[in-house]
Amino acid sequence: MRRSRNVLLTGIVLSAVLVVVGTLGAEEKKPLPFKLPKPVFIGTPKNIPPGTTVQKSTGKARPPFMAPAGTTNVALEKEVTSSDEEPIIGEIEMITDGDKEATDGSYVELGPGLQWVQVDLEAPCEIYAVLFWHYHADPRVYRDVVVQVADDADFITNVRTIFNNDHDNSAGLGIGKDYEYFEVYEGQLVDAKGIKARFVRIYTKGSTANEQNHFIEIEVWGKSAK
Amino acid sequence: MKRRAIFGALILATAVGALAFRLPRLSQRPMHGDEAVQALQSGILAETGVYRYNQIEFHGPSLYYLSLIPMWLSSAHTLAETNECTFRIVPVVFGTGLILLLLLFGDGLGRAAAVCAGVLTAVSPAMVYYSRYYIQETLLVCFTFAAIVCGWRYVQSRRPVWALLAGASLALMHATKETCIIAYGAMVLALVLVCAWKRWIDKEPVRLREVAKPKHMIPAVIVGVVVSVVLFSSFFTNWRGPWDSVATYGGYFNRARESVHLHPWWHYYLGMLVYTKLAPGPWWSEGLIVGLAAVGFIAAMLKKTDEHGNAALLRFLAFYTVILTVIYSKIPYKTPWCMLSFLHGMILLAGVGAVAIWRWMPNVPTKAIAAILLAAATLHLAKQSHAACFKFDADNRNPYVYSHPGRDVLTLVKRVEEIAQLHPDGKGMVVKIMAPEYDYWPIPWYLREFDHLGYWDAVPDEPDAPVIIAATALHPDLEKKLRDKYQINHYGLRPHTLLLLYIRSDLWDKFIRKQMKRSAK
Repeated sequence: MRRSRNVLLTGIVLSAVLVVVGTLGAEEKKPLPFKLPKPVFIGTPKNIPPGTTVQKSTGKARPPFMAPAGTTNVALEKEVTSSDEEPIIGEIEMITDGDKEATDGSYVELGPGLQWVQVDLEAPCEIYAVLFWHYHADPRVYRDVVVQVADDADFITNVRTIFNNDHDNSAGLGIGKDYEYFEVYEGQLVDAKGIKARFVRIYTKGSTANEQNHFIEIEVWGKSAK
Repeated sequence: MKRRAIFGALILATAVGALAFRLPRLSQRPMHGDEAVQALQSGILAETGVYRYNQIEFHGPSLYYLSLIPMWLSSAHTLAETNECTFRIVPVVFGTGLILLLLLFGDGLGRAAAVCAGVLTAVSPAMVYYSRYYIQETLLVCFTFAAIVCGWRYVQSRRPVWALLAGASLALMHATKETCIIAYGAMVLALVLVCAWKRWIDKEPVRLREVAKPKHMIPAVIVGVVVSVVLFSSFFTNWRGPWDSVATYGGYFNRARESVHLHPWWHYYLGMLVYTKLAPGPWWSEGLIVGLAAVGFIAAMLKKTDEHGNAALLRFLAFYTVILTVIYSKIPYKTPWCMLSFLHGMILLAGVGAVAIWRWMPNVPTKAIAAILLAAATLHLAKQSHAACFKFDADNRNPYVYSHPGRDVLTLVKRVEEIAQLHPDGKGMVVKIMAPEYDYWPIPWYLREFDHLGYWDAVPDEPDAPVIIAATALHPDLEKKLRDKYQINHYGLRPHTLLLLYIRSDLWDKFIRKQMKRSAK
């Protein structure tokens, strides 16, 4: 009887020690300090029915996104490349210039069809969130939004897909289960769960508004990989 | 003689240049709902040989009868055998015809002014854009100009054939669009003002009987009535048509007051022409034409002699254009293409204005500077035309894109066709299309090869089908009545207007398997 009580006590003490050590060892998490652009329009179409591939708006602000302390936008001012070397409007560099407004001189318009832009973070990073805006001046849905990360610029080595809403494989990158969404000033936030990579690439294939592809800004929130 | 030949060659070269803007990639832009409706009417006429003027839903018959020519030339006997080019070639021809008519107008406008007007017609973004648009407007503008040109030739020659052609042109205006009465009114008022000017400012007698001889006018009126009656009566098979062509004005005046196309008055058209920037992106301006037209107006008023253009004719064009601009601006019902009528008047005056600026310059260097600036501004117009027709042809940032379907409609149609390939009946597959107020155009045009289409403005009692296209507003009702399972995707019909595409689950699964196989290859 006494023996079993000792075993129980030892177990409790060990568990308590483990919890304390775990808590001390875990990184402190803080809400990421996203700076959002000015909203250009209010709300998304109200009559989006349930059961479609489009995410229905909650009508509420997005809850804070928690990430380890010290996480910053590691994409700011970093080099951007694109599948369309001659954008219809704007310059590729605008995608990481920190300007997220849906105004002139803030967005890049790429040609029709499947297009991508990618950011070189210059070194492998632990990526916690990717936040991006295509064009939030009116409510529209971009097709085949796919976010991938990789270790090389050609996306051959260690390619991982962290977001894919291409539900019919029309982009040829596999069927995605993520929801399509209406463009709003809050941008689209993808939880990257600390994935390690140096390159981030985002695909789109036109929108419900037109066949061109647009990017205002891409933010990659992460830390240098240890 | 040599000057006349050079003038002819320049106008012909300008017409060829105009075709270079109007002909390429005619199928590129998705069909506008209005274009699709017109094309279906023409298709019915070609397939059945029957046309009945419908005063409530449609404009006059000229567009449909003229469309039979390209259909015959391309051996298209049914609507399914046509494509966008079959129909859009009609406004292309008439849009270019506006330039060729200047060959008969050089002595009236002044040859240099006519060439300038030809170049501006060739490159004006609105003119180019709507010359590639299968609606009545370009035809109306061309017939209106033909009436003015023939009238001018008659005044110059007194040959009855020109009076008869003017009568026929006036009738063709009537057989094209109800708004012809605005042009009729502007013409009459402009003539009155020109006569008044001659009588009280020039202090010259006005002898109308010498200008328009009754023995020529009466046959001209008869020809006009005959042309109009022949077309509206569907070649003497529908005698109600001619009556309806007059009765339509009751509804027409109401439509001018009660419509979704009501816009504020003076600044809608002029603002659009002078400077438009609808969203982040490019800006648009035909300010060169408006500015030069203003100069042309002043030049017409100041003109004392008939050297380099007839003073009375130029004043007629000046008054006519101003009156037309005011009337169109004043009418609450506005669509961008309606401005073509007065924009063409502005272009003619702009030709006069460009030449006037050239002549007012005191020496060669200033003339050279003026010419370079005008050429650069004209080049900018041409650049905008290219952007309007090929880069922003269905983009809401283009001011001439009005209530226009986006390219997502083509994606929807492609998906329906892909599903039909997997269905045992192919294009015999049933497709049910439903939207309040039948707001699904131009879908019927794009599905014209399908045999079993059904259209509703509400959810029918038994809505199940392999493929359903429905307005989002009908989804709750549709959900209640559907028995099969569906994959539901959404597509943009127009900005802020979505359509839902329901694909029955068995077909969707087949489709996904096919997509995955294709991807694996």
